[in-house]
Parts: sequence; structure tokens; C-alpha cells
Amino acid sequence: MNPVLVPTNDVNSEHGILVMWFAEDGAEVAKDELLAEVETSKAVLEVVAPVAGVLLHAAAKGTEVSLTEPIAQLFATPAERDAYAAARAAAPAAAPDGPRATAKAVRRAVELGVDLASLRLDRLITVKDVEAAVAVPAPAADLPAPLPGAPGRQRILIVGAALGATQVLDILAGSTTQQAVAIVDDDASRWGDLVHGVPVVGGAALISELFTAGAFDAAIIAIGRSPAVRARFRELCASAGVPLANAIDPTARIATDVRLGQGNIICAFCHVATGVRMGDNNFFSAYNSFDHHSVIGSDNASGPSVYTSGRVTIGSRIRFGTGIVIEPDVTVGDDAAIASGAVLVTSVPPEHAVKTKIVTTTVVPLRR
Amino acid sequence: MIFAKELGDTLRGALDGDRRVVLLGEDIADPYGGAFKVTRGLSTAFPQRVRTTPISEGAIAGISAGLALAGYRPIAEVMFGDFLTLMFDQVVNHITKYQAMYAGQATCPVIVRAATGGHRGYGPTHSQSLEKHFLGVPHLRVVAASLYHDPRVVFADFLGRDEPVLYVEHKLLYPQHLTLPVHGMVGDLIATSDCSPGMLPTIRLSAVPAAECAVSVLAYGYPALLAAKVVERLAMQEEIFAELVVPAQIAPMDWAPVLSSAAATGSVVTVEEGADGWSWGSEAASVLSRRLFGKLRRPVDVVASAPTVIPSSKTKEAAVLVGGAQIEAAIRRAC
Repeated sequence: MNPVLVPTNDVNSEHGILVMWFAEDGAEVAKDELLAEVETSKAVLEVVAPVAGVLLHAAAKGTEVSLTEPIAQLFATPAERDAYAAARAAAPAAAPDGPRATAKAVRRAVELGVDLASLRLDRLITVKDVEAAVAVPAPAADLPAPLPGAPGRQRILIVGAALGATQVLDILAGSTTQQAVAIVDDDASRWGDLVHGVPVVGGAALISELFTAGAFDAAIIAIGRSPAVRARFRELCASAGVPLANAIDPTARIATDVRLGQGNIICAFCHVATGVRMGDNNFFSAYNSFDHHSVIGSDNASGPSVYTSGRVTIGSRIRFGTGIVIEPDVTVGDDAAIASGAVLVTSVPPEHAVKTKIVTTTVVPLRR
Repeated sequence: MIFAKELGDTLRGALDGDRRVVLLGEDIADPYGGAFKVTRGLSTAFPQRVRTTPISEGAIAGISAGLALAGYRPIAEVMFGDFLTLMFDQVVNHITKYQAMYAGQATCPVIVRAATGGHRGYGPTHSQSLEKHFLGVPHLRVVAASLYHDPRVVFADFLGRDEPVLYVEHKLLYPQHLTLPVHGMVGDLIATSDCSPGMLPTIRLSAVPAAECAVSVLAYGYPALLAAKVVERLAMQEEIFAELVVPAQIAPMDWAPVLSSAAATGSVVTVEEGADGWSWGSEAASVLSRRLFGKLRRPVDVVASAPTVIPSSKTKEAAVLVGGAQIEAAIRRAC
């Protein structure tokens, strides 16, 4: 078998158009016989047979061909040509839909005995994916059950097993009316853990099931950082018909004529002054103070020491940093983010960030 | 279709769709059809509006400026971008000044197309990428051809606006096929398109989502193609993940996609074929250090060609111009 190449030293082209075949597919041709014309960006090139033989086209008339690949093959006998053509037609096409994986992932899959096709990932498979496929999740039967709860107390399910949960558990520790009986968290590595004696019983998918089974009375979302995540879990609880409960530290001062919604976490030494209206599912850290007649939405999260003056309006899903002071009559719009140390003297529109320049420390990456 | 033909098709569409469009350049008429065959066939189809000029870039620039002031849409071809220097005075002192000087009462929307770049063994004066000298000229847009941007979209933008444009076409792109994003992919890389208002799209390519990448690689034109190959190979072989950010417009820059990528990865490498120093990459390094101060793990690495004459010998040329090896070394350093 001899390949037929396009004779070119045209450095500007890597492809050309096969304009015409002068020898039919399967024809017997002599050496130097004109076989085809290929047009590149520079010229029309004549392709002649490098040797005598039986021709097998590798490209159709009018198609674009690579100038570095053969456009045809020449064989000694028609039988040889037909056998080659048949073999090529029978060869299975490379499976383009097979799993895409990095070379490292392929090696790791062999080591761990993972079938990459079983991963069913619609993206590039990496070592991380292969190792995750091996990690066997704990069987559901091994997961602990919620605590029974003392009679007469509201049994609380805590959503989120991270540090926010420990804050809520600390608030409930002194309570005679509420008791935490279980924690759910989507991080499977936490399942089965005890947090201050309360078991992590599984993922958030269990909320509805546990509630229907009568394992708890109300939920508290113990996620302090992200208002968006707070809002998502509140909606999840609402759709499952699960009520939220407030967790209010005994050292917090809640004044008269205050209306609180449900699911609010109010940490130590907070002050909620008279006339305040507060929505649902807020997480206010220690030493927050909302002065008189302020109106607060839902799903907010704050760091310690956020102080408002009177008649302040706070929207929903706002993330407050630490040490923030807000002047009277200021409105903070929904989905805003307020940096630590901000002194808000004017209102903040929705979906805006307040940056601060009151920086007394400079943090730079370590030299390497 | 190869890029040269896609571009020719784009110009044919422009001539067809807008009677004000005029093509000028050296040897662009049939049968030669331009040194890189971009305009092949166009003078036959539009004999009045596709004109071969004398060998004078100064004349091409001057005639284009006059045509543009008179309401035409001249598209001038510069056979070798090295000779853009012969247009420099008219671009800097005339073409880019009219609109602002006459408060918009005069406009001079000249489009200059220039074949740039090396790796062809064409020697010191036919291989350069001189666009860096045009970056920062007030009221001049500089746009680079790439295989990830449809030239039809790019020229529709040019012809829809009244500003002068320099469009640089790296010679090595002409024989390549366009690889536009299809279903969010370019080959095996995830492709996303970011675009601030009034800007041309910036294409972002990576094997895994940007948040999982360790470095952003900022490149345009032919080096972007080289970088894409390196990015893909490092991802598939070694799980070194980089996000390639390819703008079409290189001045003024749409920084938003670059900042977004750099903030996600914390490390940036820029790549350009022009000579090192006082360059696109050094401007990017300056802007990123101001906008992301303290947020990057390491200084921005600027990869550019050696600041010297480009040799004619192909082996010596390869030692001067940026290639895949320098890009790979920079990505490894930056991870």
C-alpha cells in the first residue's frame, strides 16, 4: 500500500479543496498519472500517482482535505485494495461519547478498580471524581436516630452542623422550653457525629421525612454566613410544612411591643428595642442592637456588634460584617452586603455592596 | 472553512450588505487576491469597490481617511503589519482625532486590516506584531482576529459604529479552521462568552469550571491558539487546570471578564507575540495589580517575545518568538 500525498511546500496552507478526481475509485493507474487537483490558498496543485497501482480514494470531490494526510492509497492488486477498504469500513468508529477523563484520572481509576463509564459525569473526569466514587457513603441504617426529647419541650431540628449549630445549641442549652433533638447537614462526612451531644442524623433531604414521622416540632437554620443559603432552607422547610422556631439567648433584651417572626437566631447580649418589627429566619450574632421602631426583613445574617439607630429599615437577605453602625432613618435594600466597620449615613439600594476604607491593618499574602 | 476564507466571506457580506463599503490594499484584486488570498474573488464580484492601490501605506491611509470622512466605509488591507508604521501619523494625528475634534459632526470610521506575526521565516521586517504601539491611542479600537470569534460578528460591530479600528490578523490563523464555541464547548474545553455593554465578547476556555482552575491565561490572536493547546494538554495529562481568557478587542480592554477569572484563580499569566516590555501584558499587569491588590497569590507573569530582531532562519526565529514551551513554563510557575 502506498499513500498518495499532495505535493506542496506552500507554508501558508494546511488544507485545500479537492477540486477534481481524474482517476476513478478502484481504477488501475500508472506511475506519474494525473490523479487529482487540489486547490490551496496559493495555487491549484496537480497530484500524480507516486507508483503504479489500484486506487482507493480517501476523500470525495469538493471536500476539504488536509495537506499532510494522504488523499488516496495505491495497492498492488484489486483484491488487496478491496480487503483494505472492507477492513476500514468494518473498523468500529472511535466512540466519541465515551467518558472524558484526564490521564491521571484514568490511571487512578485502574488502581482503584473504578469503571469510568459508571460515573456518568457530563464533564471532564478528574482524580477527585474517581476517588469520590470509591468513598462509600455510610448506609442509612447506621445513622443515629433523633433524641427523644424531654416532655413538654419544643423539640428542635437544627439545619447545618457547622459552627452555627454550636451557637444555636449554646442558646438552647439553658432553655427550659426548647430542646435540640437532631441535626441535618448535606456534608455526608458529618453524618453520625455528635455536636454537643446532639446527633447529625443525615442530609437536609430528611427534614420532611423526620417531621412527618413526628421526630421534631420545629426547625432552626443554623447557617450564619450566607443569607442565600438561609433563604433556600427556609423555602425548603416551608414547602415541607415545617415550622421554624426562634432561638433567643437568655441574655438578649427583647423590649415591649416587639413583633418577631419565626426562625430568628438572636445571640447573646443583643438588644431589640421597643416597636421593632422583625421578619423570619434572621441570624443575628452577639451584641447586635436594633433601636426603636426599626423594621427588619427576613433571611439576614450579621456578625457581632451591628448597631442601628431608631427607625432604620433593613430589607431581606442582607449580609452584615462586624462592627457596623447605622444612622436613623437609613434604609438598607434587599440583597445588599455591608462590609465590617461601615458607618451607614445614607441608604443603600438593593443589590449593592458597601465597601469600607477604614482599614487599620493591611493583610498581604506571605512571601514564598 | 479556513479563517482566510471565513474572513473573505465576511468581507463579501459587508460589500453586499452596505454600498458604502470599499476595499483598498496592495495586490488585493484578482487574480492574485491578496498576499494571503483573503480578498480572492471580491474584485471580480465588486470591481468598483475593491481596488488595488500603489505600494504606499501612506496613500492607503490617506485615501481611506478621505473616503471615511466623505461617508464611505473603507476597509484597508495592510499586506504586512510591519508597515503599519507608515500609517502611524495619519492614524494618530488625523483618523482618530476627527470625531472628538469636531464633537461628532465629522466621523472617520476607517477599518485597517493588517496581517501580522511571525513563525513563517519571513525575517525582521515581515514578521512583527507591532500592535502594541497602537494600544492606548485615544479613540482607536484595536481588535485581534481569533479562531474563537466569528469575523462576521466582529465586522458587523465595526460597520455598525463610527469609530476607527485596527484589526490585526496573525498570519498563522489564515490556514486554520474557526473553532467557535458550540453548545458551550470548544473541542474538549468548556467555553463561556462574557461581554460588557459596548464591548466585543471575551471567550473563556477551561477543562474544568473556572473556580477549580489554578491560573488565568490572558492571550489574543495566534498565541491564544498555542495557549489553548497547552491548557488542554496540561489538564488532560497532569490535571494542571488553567482558564484561558481570549478577548477580541485588546484596546480599550473589557477588564470585567479578566478580573472575574483572575479573582477566581488568584494567578495570571499574559501571553503576546509582540516584543517584551511596554506592552499589552505589562498594561494588564498594571491594571490587575491595582484592581486586585492583595487578592492574587503572585505577581502577574508577562510572556512576550524577546525584544530583538526576528531572524529569518526558522530555528533562530523560534528562539525569539513566544511559543508553546514558554507558555507552558509560565503556567507551571503560576500554579
